[in-house]
Amino acid sequence: MTDGEAPRGPRPDHAFAHASEAEFARILDFYQVEWEYEPQVFPILWDLDGNVLESFAPDFFLPELELFVELTTLQQRLVRKKNRKVRRLRELYPGLRIKLFYARDFRALMLKYGRAALVSELSGTLGQVMTHEEDTEPSAPAGLEPESDVNGHPIDRADAGSSASGESIPVHRRRSRAARRHGGRRSNAGSAPVSPVT
Amino acid sequence: MRVSQDLVSDVSEVLLTEEQIAAKVVELGQQISADYAGRQLTLVSVLKGSLPFMADLMRSISLPLRIDLMEVSSYGGTTTESSGLVRILKDLSAPIEGRDVLLVEDIIDTGLTLNYLLRYLRGKNPRSIKVCALLDKPARRLVEIPLDYVGFQIPDAFVVGYGLDFGEVYRNLRFVGVLRPEAYES
Repeated sequence: MTDGEAPRGPRPDHAFAHASEAEFARILDFYQVEWEYEPQVFPILWDLDGNVLESFAPDFFLPELELFVELTTLQQRLVRKKNRKVRRLRELYPGLRIKLFYARDFRALMLKYGRAALVSELSGTLGQVMTHEEDTEPSAPAGLEPESDVNGHPIDRADAGSSASGESIPVHRRRSRAARRHGGRRSNAGSAPVSPVT
Repeated sequence: MRVSQDLVSDVSEVLLTEEQIAAKVVELGQQISADYAGRQLTLVSVLKGSLPFMADLMRSISLPLRIDLMEVSSYGGTTTESSGLVRILKDLSAPIEGRDVLLVEDIIDTGLTLNYLLRYLRGKNPRSIKVCALLDKPARRLVEIPLDYVGFQIPDAFVVGYGLDFGEVYRNLRFVGVLRPEAYES
């Protein structure tokens, strides 16, 4: 989004990198599924000295389901890189469960919930949102070229850390309404009004 | 949303014919009758989509049984936007404590609704709780829940009919079919 351009689509007051992620978080909140946003970074490529060259931070972790979810609302022909990363992640971390939600899946989800009209606003480059949280470093829109870590190595999220030791690193730990009920930290999933559970 | 007066013309492909559905429901009913013989079975149907399936399934089960109905709000529905949380729009009319409950669903897609319902129903202390779904669409499954009885596993397509709707329409089709994109893209 360029300076002075009006934001399109919902404007989540939480630092999601993409409007589709905010919508997805609202759906999880609605069904009271606990979630964390980009809680871990997984190194997926190292140089011969063991330094991390490439990392991958899936968008969501659903702790109760022990499932990572990666959303991409780019057109199918543009997701080859994302597919490769997910494949690599599965090879390197075989115990890890990750679900890749493609644009068609997101579209079908919106259709199912009667929100098909929002699809174009929440998808692809139109769905990019700017982040404003002070504790959040600049983040890249989902699906764009990976940005670099402190060593200039590509990461699938600019706000994700990396580790030369090859261990995954917790970065952001934003927790859902369900987590808050259990004493965790709550994040606002987006622009939808929220009322206490009755 | 553009709906034809002839609902069938909005369907691009019949996925499951009326006859296929009927045969499968009988098969499920026989299996359930055998599995629950001598037990106190309560069928719990989730409105509105599972209504035709429930009506046919209960008549295919040869055991004494009770039925009950529930309805939960769906994400994006007008009745839910004030809270942002799923709500029970219609609760059970009788206790299920100590009873064997079979939750009857039309379709399992992401599993989010089913996950919520099972948590809710388990809180009412049934003796057992199992799931019977006419359609299983695993392509977008988020919550992996074992389905005890499944009619058909279907591909990743937007289906309507036999209780399944788009915008509250098409539920009265006697078959399950794939909705033409023109019907929901307009």
